[in-house]
Amino acid sequence: MLEASPDEIYDIELEHSLLEANEKLAVENRALLDRHGITAIDFMGAIGSGKTTLITKMVGRLKDRIGVAVFNGDATTSSDADAISAQNVPVVQIATINGCHLDANVVGKGLKRIALEKLKLIFIENIGNLICPAEFPLGSKARVVVVSVTEGPWMVRKHPHMFLGAEIVVINKIDLAQVMEVSVEQLVSDVHKLKPNMKVIPTSTKTGAGLDEFEKALLAI
Amino acid sequence: MHELSIASGLVEKLLDFAEKNPAKKIVEVNLAVGELSHIESEQLRFCYEAITTETPLAGSRLEIEKIEALVKCPHCSYRGRPKYWDGALSGIPVATLECPSCGKTTEATDGQECAIRSLRFVEADPVVS
Repeated sequence: MLEASPDEIYDIELEHSLLEANEKLAVENRALLDRHGITAIDFMGAIGSGKTTLITKMVGRLKDRIGVAVFNGDATTSSDADAISAQNVPVVQIATINGCHLDANVVGKGLKRIALEKLKLIFIENIGNLICPAEFPLGSKARVVVVSVTEGPWMVRKHPHMFLGAEIVVINKIDLAQVMEVSVEQLVSDVHKLKPNMKVIPTSTKTGAGLDEFEKALLAI
Repeated sequence: MHELSIASGLVEKLLDFAEKNPAKKIVEVNLAVGELSHIESEQLRFCYEAITTETPLAGSRLEIEKIEALVKCPHCSYRGRPKYWDGALSGIPVATLECPSCGKTTEATDGQECAIRSLRFVEADPVVS
């Protein structure tokens, strides 16, 4: 009788990126958008930082001049999508249920649901979360991170990675900076420490401060 | 918690391997996770263990190798480790895109990945009698 040798251990090399599936879909989304001459811009930021209000303001300013649509990621509610729908532009609500970020797959599905022919700009509002969305490109041409002074003085230092992949940072609610005892200059300089050439725009959707500059920056993407 | 999405993608891939190779039992999975990725190793390991119970992967070990960040500067042709920000809150130095050499903005070349490097498995020899 021949005894079986003990289990032997084998290794195999298996280079396989776990982020690749999403990246591939993001590239496809981007190609589809490019074919239609559409620029998509991804908005990231914490819950309550003012992403929806900023997008609504920009849609209001731009919709009579160019075709604008909004993709609205929200874990469970449609309140943000409803707010933007009042502007009479195409809105795609993406409920992620318990997901903490949008991914290229859901955005790709959304792109199939609207008529792309007349569009020039799509704003994609990501889930209110400063960590997860950074890992999942969607196919947008640029990423905007919105932080507000009401989130305290350390938002940039607490979430440095989120900023490294962004092109524009908005410091929002600057009308409340004094009450909050938060230095806007400090937040701006924190961002520049992470990425010296970042476009940083202090805004207030209440007073309108910075909105002209933000609009210009969006159109320059 | 995006670690769960990433763990799910990983487990899907591994179960696919297990199904195609029923005689091979995976005992160890080696991952490479970049310093600039937003992936927390402990959470990833926790998610992995949680979703592999009652699968052929149950009991397998997840080994995670940290990959250092590297940057290149288009302005002064610096290549190497990024500049770290020591004064940020946590006490852990934070990698930045500021060029250590000229102060302008660099691009990251390494340290963003999350990839399966290799698998270790055992294969029972058939019993000959």
